[in-house]
Amino acid sequence: MIAARCQFRQTRLQQLLSGQLNEAMAADVARHIGQCETCRHKLEALAADASWWQEAQQLLSSATTSPVLLTDAPAVSNDRSVIEPLELVSGFLQPGDDPSQLGRLDEFEILEVIGHGGMGIVLKGYDRPLARHVAIKVLAPHYATSGAARRRFAREAQAAAAVVHPHVLAIHGVNGNHRLPYLVMPLVTGPSLQQQIDTQGPLGVLDTLRIGMQAAQGLAAAHAQGLVHRDVKPANILLENGLQRVLLTDFGLARAIDDVSLTHSGVIAGTPQYMSPEQTRGEPVDHRTDLFSLGSVLYTMCAGRPPFRADSTFGVMRKICEAAPRDLREINPEVPAWLSEIVLRLLAKQPDQRFQSAAEVASLLENCLAHLQHPTAVALPEIPGTTSSALVVDHLIARRLLWSLAAAGVLAATSLAAWQLWPQAVENPAVPQPPAASHAPELLEAHTRWRDDLDPTLSTIRTQLQTLAGDEW
Amino acid sequence: MQESYQTRASLLLRIRDAQDTQAWGEFVEIYESLIYRVARQQGVQHADALELTQEVLLTVARSINRWDAEPSRGSFRGWLRRVARNLTINYLIRQRRHPQGVGDTDFQSLLAEQPDPHSEESASFDLECRRSLFLRAAQQIQDEFQASTWLAFWNSCVLQQSVKEVAAELEMTPGAIYVARSRVMARLRKCVQEYVERDL
Repeated sequence: MIAARCQFRQTRLQQLLSGQLNEAMAADVARHIGQCETCRHKLEALAADASWWQEAQQLLSSATTSPVLLTDAPAVSNDRSVIEPLELVSGFLQPGDDPSQLGRLDEFEILEVIGHGGMGIVLKGYDRPLARHVAIKVLAPHYATSGAARRRFAREAQAAAAVVHPHVLAIHGVNGNHRLPYLVMPLVTGPSLQQQIDTQGPLGVLDTLRIGMQAAQGLAAAHAQGLVHRDVKPANILLENGLQRVLLTDFGLARAIDDVSLTHSGVIAGTPQYMSPEQTRGEPVDHRTDLFSLGSVLYTMCAGRPPFRADSTFGVMRKICEAAPRDLREINPEVPAWLSEIVLRLLAKQPDQRFQSAAEVASLLENCLAHLQHPTAVALPEIPGTTSSALVVDHLIARRLLWSLAAAGVLAATSLAAWQLWPQAVENPAVPQPPAASHAPELLEAHTRWRDDLDPTLSTIRTQLQTLAGDEW
Repeated sequence: MQESYQTRASLLLRIRDAQDTQAWGEFVEIYESLIYRVARQQGVQHADALELTQEVLLTVARSINRWDAEPSRGSFRGWLRRVARNLTINYLIRQRRHPQGVGDTDFQSLLAEQPDPHSEESASFDLECRRSLFLRAAQQIQDEFQASTWLAFWNSCVLQQSVKEVAAELEMTPGAIYVARSRVMARLRKCVQEYVERDL
């Protein structure tokens, strides 16, 4: 029987490869191929020569050895891993009793799909015994492929569930046994901080302090239990009751997801914009990585945009590691100098140059808030200063520039920086120079500005090319 | 200021069509991380590798007016790649012989040299180029397949898990795994070949 059916024509296999066979025929051929080595080899050779198979294996697998810097994907968003919610739901839910429902998931009635993203989908569910609505986060199938990944997800979620704090979104339950593991959480109706900033622009100083303080308190509670968030960003900060109450979500899950994501595509899911320098380099991190990200979040609340932006993922990561962020007060003059200082301190490249604990940051922000609300009764707390050198990475070039220029005198700083710049940028110096109290900070700043100039230069060229192409055609 | 004017004028003369704009965008996107990876593989420290990446891209940008749009000389894309390749390899070879900081290197002078095609640096650069094509292709085509089809390919072909194991994990038959991974492979090959034809 098998031998007789072995006479698949080349064209049939070709149709199979390009997805042209109907389901029944494809299944029929697939069944045969599972048993017949000859046909399997034929099919594989038709798909690509042995050298291609080998090359794909070698090139794509070792791509995962240097995780962070290999992505060529654009920085904006990583929608590639977004899955079709309905495709997922259909295979995942049990039929429900009520036709208005999408179905059932264990004891929950599933009412609708609230959202979906790289990590999975979020469903709105109803917990009838407890008479409450819940949000159910289901891990996307491509993250749930191995038992190890599922266990990892469940373990991280259980650790996060142990953190009970008014500013950490509670986790009601974790189910890691299901084919696709899921989390059950309270349903929060408010927007995320990301949505708030997208629609309303920068926040006022009071709101910034209040949200920052609550987020820092939530982080402090998690850190006290040895849990590092690793993905603090505006999209993971929910605002309840008209912005009054902050809830941090997705504790520790970022890491669990990244590990799986990396082995599957070699690409970090999501935006690197709020990562710390140590994270972008793939180095081990501790709780202070969350403080850097918190600094980026505070910056974003004040400026309406994140501190490190570039055209590519790589460009963002490079800036996180290398560049000083643009002065907040230039972007938003309403930001007080002391708040800008606090943000800069959090954004120090070296973890030991930052504040050392989330609790410290929380109480500092709390005191600042008290001062702002009762300026006469409460004095502004003392804010530990930041040195400019903390904001740029301490690397060889910076030091070499520093020494050679310190010897040559102060004048050389600007002229060398100017020499390195693309001409257009010279006309438009990015930062006004503060009066030089000593040589060092100014020289470092010159260095930073020079570095920072690559992206404008490259996009200037791009714009020119676009204009030219547009003009001519 | 003067250079700016000249650059503009020469671009005006030389950039013939909108495809070159796209070529430049893709070039930066691909070569930024590629140059960094090659440099790190050749033992250059993180900070210097970033510095090198920046210098190479700037030098290429400043040299655009040397590009000759004569059809027999090849595409703009191919030209960008050759310049970036030469600069990177020449720097790394020179670095191996006479260690010197990126900041102290005259990249304009590196433009003129022809890199040794048999050097380790050339091999490393070409390998990373090829890897970029495969990665880019994988990212591009992944969406065209159902998650299970993609995973059948990735887990069995790339991660080299046994077909039996992958079949059990994905709740598919071994035959379906063979078919799925061949379908992805055929598409991947086609996509990479298209890139090569486009001189990416």
